[in-house]
Amino acid sequence: MLVVEDLVKRYDRFVAVDHLSMTVERGHVFGFVGPNGAGKTTTMRIAATLLAPTSGSVRVAGFDVMEEPIKVRRKIGYMPDFFGVYDNLKAMEYLDFYGASYGIPYKERQKTAEGLLNLVGLANKRDNYVDSLSRGMKQRLCLARSLMHDPELLILDEPASGMDPRARVELKNILKELKNMGKTILISSHILSELSEMCDSIGIIEHGRLVVSGDVKNIMETVSGRLTVRIKLLDDMDRAINILKEQPLVSDIFQEDDMLEIGYKGKDEDLWPLLKTLVASDVPIISFSKTDGNLEKVFMEVTQDEEMV
Amino acid sequence: MKRWFNNPVLAGELKIRMRSWRTVLMIMGYLAIMLAIAYLFLETSMQTLSRYGSVNISRDLGLQLYTILAVIQFMLIIILIPAQTAGSISGEREKQTLDLLLCTPLSSLAIVLGKMLSSMSFVLLLTIASIPLFSLVFLFGGIAPMDIITLFVFYLITAFAVGSIGIFCSVLFKKTVTATVAAYIVIFALGIITLLLGAYMTSEFAGKNPHFSGVYIAFPFYLNPAIGLFDLLGQQSGGTGGVGLTILGVSSAMYNANVAMTGGLSWMAQKLGVWGTNSVVISVIAIILLLISAWVVKPVRVLKTHSSKRHSADASVN
Repeated sequence: MLVVEDLVKRYDRFVAVDHLSMTVERGHVFGFVGPNGAGKTTTMRIAATLLAPTSGSVRVAGFDVMEEPIKVRRKIGYMPDFFGVYDNLKAMEYLDFYGASYGIPYKERQKTAEGLLNLVGLANKRDNYVDSLSRGMKQRLCLARSLMHDPELLILDEPASGMDPRARVELKNILKELKNMGKTILISSHILSELSEMCDSIGIIEHGRLVVSGDVKNIMETVSGRLTVRIKLLDDMDRAINILKEQPLVSDIFQEDDMLEIGYKGKDEDLWPLLKTLVASDVPIISFSKTDGNLEKVFMEVTQDEEMV
Repeated sequence: MKRWFNNPVLAGELKIRMRSWRTVLMIMGYLAIMLAIAYLFLETSMQTLSRYGSVNISRDLGLQLYTILAVIQFMLIIILIPAQTAGSISGEREKQTLDLLLCTPLSSLAIVLGKMLSSMSFVLLLTIASIPLFSLVFLFGGIAPMDIITLFVFYLITAFAVGSIGIFCSVLFKKTVTATVAAYIVIFALGIITLLLGAYMTSEFAGKNPHFSGVYIAFPFYLNPAIGLFDLLGQQSGGTGGVGLTILGVSSAMYNANVAMTGGLSWMAQKLGVWGTNSVVISVIAIILLLISAWVVKPVRVLKTHSSKRHSADASVN
């Protein structure tokens, strides 16, 4: 449905997207994760025909975004991370306006708008002015707007940002429903846990590069094949780190206050010799525990950079 | 043509515009200013009329009132239109609604035209609202209803030209405040520069051709709708009552047939008159500005002359 090939976007010297390639299958929900400024929004804007790439190509349903932008626009529903609404327009009129922009006949777009207001739970707000709605409601209305022309691919840039927990749950339910309707969804977030439940596959982007991508299940398996150990120390952090660095099975080390978190490639039975070594070296350990791997971990690992000791 | 007027941007703009109190207050303020001026003029002139009343004076008074109203309305349009149009695209950008509009299949030209037509329809509304005031002129005679219609058509053309500068600035500048200030500066600078340049060229011409008995109109004059307005008013009042082009040293003689005309575009001025030529010139410039605006607004611009793999720079960097 969405094919990104060797995409590069450069602003003067700054490279926002750096040779990024990825594919989103039809009917899939693809989670696009990365820290702020990693290039998620840029990639999405290019896919939404709002930005020209420096090189590389993006195809939506077979149409190149540069060569046939109008055809691409009919296929996609785009919801930007920040968006505004018109004052003096009612929710229903707001949807009607965008419906008209897609050239949908009046009666049809009225019907679609009613249906979408129901879907996003705003049916009772149809005659309220858009600027009187809460942020969460505006976001749902914007989602409804992006669905007016029944697009095949939804590009949602941080749709859950600024939503309270309740609104997030509601959004998840709406997205599930959309997935059941057969929509392909590209959704971005800088918070991974938000996405892990509802995505089929994820891609982690950093500095404009896709560092990991694939099935959520596969990624989870990769992670669970590796142990994460949390070690709490009273003191002597540096010495502990030096000792750990010498261990061949320790893959990476994160420091967080008085806590060390390490990736361990060995099995459970390899763990106690590690503890023994540390204790034998008089490192004041007060807690040593194995934690389950999760997507957060993958995210931390692949986006480590400065955080890494 | 039908597609232009079936423009969702225009429909939406009109709905939003007509709902706000600002529009109502603007129309009220607009009419109040015109009414106050008309009243003051009539109040002072009626005394003259009652003392030396004759058909001729009555006719002149009507023409004077007409000229005053026409000039005031022209000035109000010049002042109002940039404020209306300079925020049209930059405002969407500031409200973060432009992207949503651009990722619909609407062409950028349709978006720009929608904004333009909405501003023009506001001018149309203002001028129509002023018709009762203008009809005061009919009490005195000297002006036919057709004259007023022609004048209003000229207003629309002026609004189109001035509005296109506003839209152009709105596209170029990110902030509405900057765009508005820039639009006013450009419009007033153009107004003054074309006048000065035209006047300079006229005196140059007169210096070089001391025996020329026809009418010379320098090209810069055609860029200035104020010239068109004065010409139109002069023509309508038969070159007597109105201000006419006398201020430019051009007598009403040129409205007589067979006057030799020279200067840039004189072939067109001979057929369409000065104000007609002026309308054509400013309309052409406005159309060019709108096309450039649409091109700049376009988020993804492919230069067809280059190979399809090479893309031009994008419109916004953020």
